[in-house]
This record gives sequence, C-alpha cells and structure tokens, in this order.
Amino acid sequence: MSKIFSSPKKLAILILFVAVFGLSVAGGALGAPFGLGFLGAPIANIELPAEKIFSLGSYEVKNSSLLFWIGGLILTLLAFFGTRKIRSKSPEADVPRGLQNFLEVIVEFFINLGEAAAGGRHGRRFLPLVITIFLVVVMSNWLSVLPGVGTIGWVENAEEFVEHREEAIEADGSRADFKDPDLVVFAGGGNFKWIPFGRTSLDAVPLASLEAGEGGHGVELANPGRLDEDFDEGLLAGINNRDIDLATDAGILVPFLRGPNTDVNTTLAIALVAMITIQIWGFRSLGFRGYGGKFFNIKQGPIFFFVGILELIGELARTISFTFRLFGNMFAGEVLLVAMAFIFPLIGIIPFIGLELFVGLIQAFIFAMLTLVFGVMATIGHSEEEH
Amino acid sequence: MEAIGINLPGLVTQLVSFLILFLILSKVLYGPISRALDDRSNRIRESLEAADQARQDAASSAERVEQEIVAARTQGQQLIAEARDAAGRLRVSEEARVRTDLESLRERAAQDVRRERDAAIEEIRAEFANLAVDAAERVIGRSLDAQAHREIIEGVLEEGLAKDRRN
Repeated sequence: MSKIFSSPKKLAILILFVAVFGLSVAGGALGAPFGLGFLGAPIANIELPAEKIFSLGSYEVKNSSLLFWIGGLILTLLAFFGTRKIRSKSPEADVPRGLQNFLEVIVEFFINLGEAAAGGRHGRRFLPLVITIFLVVVMSNWLSVLPGVGTIGWVENAEEFVEHREEAIEADGSRADFKDPDLVVFAGGGNFKWIPFGRTSLDAVPLASLEAGEGGHGVELANPGRLDEDFDEGLLAGINNRDIDLATDAGILVPFLRGPNTDVNTTLAIALVAMITIQIWGFRSLGFRGYGGKFFNIKQGPIFFFVGILELIGELARTISFTFRLFGNMFAGEVLLVAMAFIFPLIGIIPFIGLELFVGLIQAFIFAMLTLVFGVMATIGHSEEEH
Repeated sequence: MEAIGINLPGLVTQLVSFLILFLILSKVLYGPISRALDDRSNRIRESLEAADQARQDAASSAERVEQEIVAARTQGQQLIAEARDAAGRLRVSEEARVRTDLESLRERAAQDVRRERDAAIEEIRAEFANLAVDAAERVIGRSLDAQAHREIIEGVLEEGLAKDRRN
C-alpha cells in the first residue's frame, strides 16, 4: 500500500480510478434516487425471444441468426486461411506459425482430450463435431460481448411494435404471453437517434399508458402519439413540458445483432445435433440391439426394464440440460452486462466483460466436453462397463 | 415455448446453419489439421528411428574400426618382433660363419707359410750342402767322394737343425 502512495504515477492512477468509480456510482442507478442520475441510461428492454431484423419474403431474419452467420463466416475464413498451406501441401506447412499454429493447438488439444477420454484413436471420430461445437459456441459467445452487439439497432415505435405483435399473434393463432414493454424516449431525430445520458421520469413510458383503442386482441392503439390522460399526471406533464412527440421519439430498440446463444433456438439446435449424433454413434458401435437394449431391457427382469426407461429419460434430459445450460448462462451474461451498465455506467461493465469472456469459453468447453463424454459413454456397452 | 422464443423457423435456421458450419469445419479445419498432425508425428517418429539406427550403425562401425586398428597394431608389432628375431639369428649365424671362414683362412695361410718356410729351408739346405762341399773341395783341393761327403754334411745339418728346433 505504501508503495502505491510513494509513486506519483500509481497514485494518480489510483485517484483517477476512485474518481471514475465515484462518478459512475453517483451518476448511475445508485445516484438516481438522490437526483444524481446524470450518467445512466434507461435499462434496456430485454426480450427473451430473438427479434426480427428484416424479412426475405415470408422468412424472417432474426438478429441472433445474423450474428451466428457472422461468427460462422469468421470461423470459415479462419479455417480456410489457417489451413491453406496444409491443403496446398506446401513444405512450409511443417513449420506451423501464426494462425495455423493456433488452430493446430486447438485441434491437438481436443485430439489429446478425445484420445484420453475414449482410450486411443477410437476417440478420433467424435472430434469433428466436438471441435465444431467448441469453436461455434465460443465464437458466438465472444462475439456477443463486443460493443454494439445488443445496443445498436432499429428504433421501433409504439405503432410498429403493436403491429408486429399483432402479426405474431395472428401467425400463432393464439394470444401470446408477451409482457408489455416500456417505451424509451430517444434523443436526436430523423434516421439517427440515441438514448440520451441521464435518467428522468421519462425513461420508461409504459405501453399501457398510451391511449388504448378498440383492438381485436386488446393491443390496438387509438392514437400512438398521445398519452392516455387518465394514466399518470406526472408522466403526462413531463411529456408535454419537453415537447416530445411520442409517435416518433418513443420506441423500443431492436438490436441488429444479438448473441446467438442468447436465443434458445441456437442452443437447442446445437444440442439436438449433439444428442442425435451421439445416438448414431451408439447405434453404430453397439448395433441396433446392443444400443437399443440399453433403453428397452426386457431380458433381465422388471428392475432393469425400469433402469432402461430411466436411461431413455436421462437421454432426453441431457438434450434439455445442454440447451438451457448454455442458453441460461449466455442470456444471464447479457442481462448482467446490461444491468451493470445500468448501475455503474462508466466502469461497472469492464470486469464483467472479462467474466463473460471467461464464461463464454468455459461454457463452450463444457458443451464440447460433455458431447465427447456422452459420445464415449454411448459407444461403450453395458456388458463392457460391468467387466 | 413461444415465450422463451423457441419457434420452428428459428430452430430450423440455426440447425441448418450449424450443420453447414459443421461440414465446412470438418472438411476445412479438422480434416487437414488432424492429417497434418498425424503425418508430422509419423515423420518425426520415423526420422527419430532412422537417427537412432544411424547412431547405432556409427557406433558399431566405430567399434569395428577400433578392433581393426588394434588387430593391425598387434600384427605389426608381431611382425617387427619376428623381423628383429630373424635379424638377430642372422647376425649370430653370419658372425659364426665369418669367424669360421677367418679361422680357416688363417689356418690355410699358416699352413702355406709353414710349407713355404719348409721348402725354403729345404732348398737352402740343399744349396748349403752343395756350397759346403764346393767349399770343402776347394779347401782341401781334392775331390771328395761327393756322395759320401754329402751324407756326412746332411747328418751334420740334421743335428744343427735339430738343435735349432730345440732352441
């Protein structure tokens, strides 16, 4: 401690750090109750389902898919350029450097892991899928930590929001269980708007506060630009004082890019591929009777039959746990980053970005590792285990 | 299901995207790299084995060379020793031969000298006897019976010679 005070450079850094921390606490969410919320932004509207970015005919491109494709493109390019010397059989390929070396380290790491898990070269056949899962998941997770992901997007005003919801409900045929979001009043105008610094009572304009009309599903707006006069006098006064046109200035941010693994479709897709492939490995190495006998065991009495049924349920549960472990972690990470940016606007997010990078790597490794282990387990017969 | 965002188009999109990526990465990333790694480790193992073999070969040939050197050295020493032996034997026999030669030469020379001396003595005696007879004839003035006198003189000379030899 005394060392820090003796060096003026370190002391200056320390003072700066403390000042920034104090400023962020005072200006952020913690300062808002005391009238000091000059830095904070309204907490973002967090949607569980991925949002639509644009439509190709009747196909809707989701923001999570977009980032997934970007990640896939990056991986493809890395793989393409990293293995170019190997594929062209260049003699330089034997002295790996740079990107090729990096990719070789990853592949070799998993080769060693696979051979250790399965005992010898037999473990090789799991590896293409395991490595793909690892790379895809880690790339998706890390991309979603980038600044701009989840924070840059369309502004959807109240009218458009309600319209989209109408479409979704009609397409679904049922009343979807959406919660009503709070609209945010944006600054700027035309095609370029942003969320202003500082938090006021106008940060959150509840959708329900807009004048309701006679909609078929109870969500039609009579006049999206006007507040329901009976809803909240304070809010009404604030809107009128600042001369805000709710029809154009208030809305919801729909980010262009969203972490692929914060969309449950992505994690479910990967989990399905993993579990189906594991079943194929199982059938291939134990045969139809051998592998099926794990689940439908009628030879050894009722207890083993019951155990077999449990195994079957376990197999299904694995798919679900695969899906929601990754989804839960990454979605929670996104929420954490949003919340920290809300609470400590200047510096609060920095350690958590580090944490998210770590979690992203660990989750990718867990997903890949579990695929490998389940694959190895599926290819080992029960009779072998007992010996 | 809808509330957490699971929907068929989204799921199919991500499924297809993931499978395409899986194919691409297996073909472009895993395949080439694992093959390259295997090739490389095989090649390294082979060259290590070759190096080991070469080292063993080198060691055994060095040993063989060493043995040959040792063998050659002992053989050379043996040859030198034999040559020295032979030389020694030769010298001894030559010395002996030379000595006997010298001995016989000296012997012969001594014999020759003795024979020459005897012949000379004989000649001188004969000459001396004649001379003595001649001298006696001249002294006494008359001819003596040459035969009888020669016998007397011979007898005297014999005595004289015997006396000489005894001395």
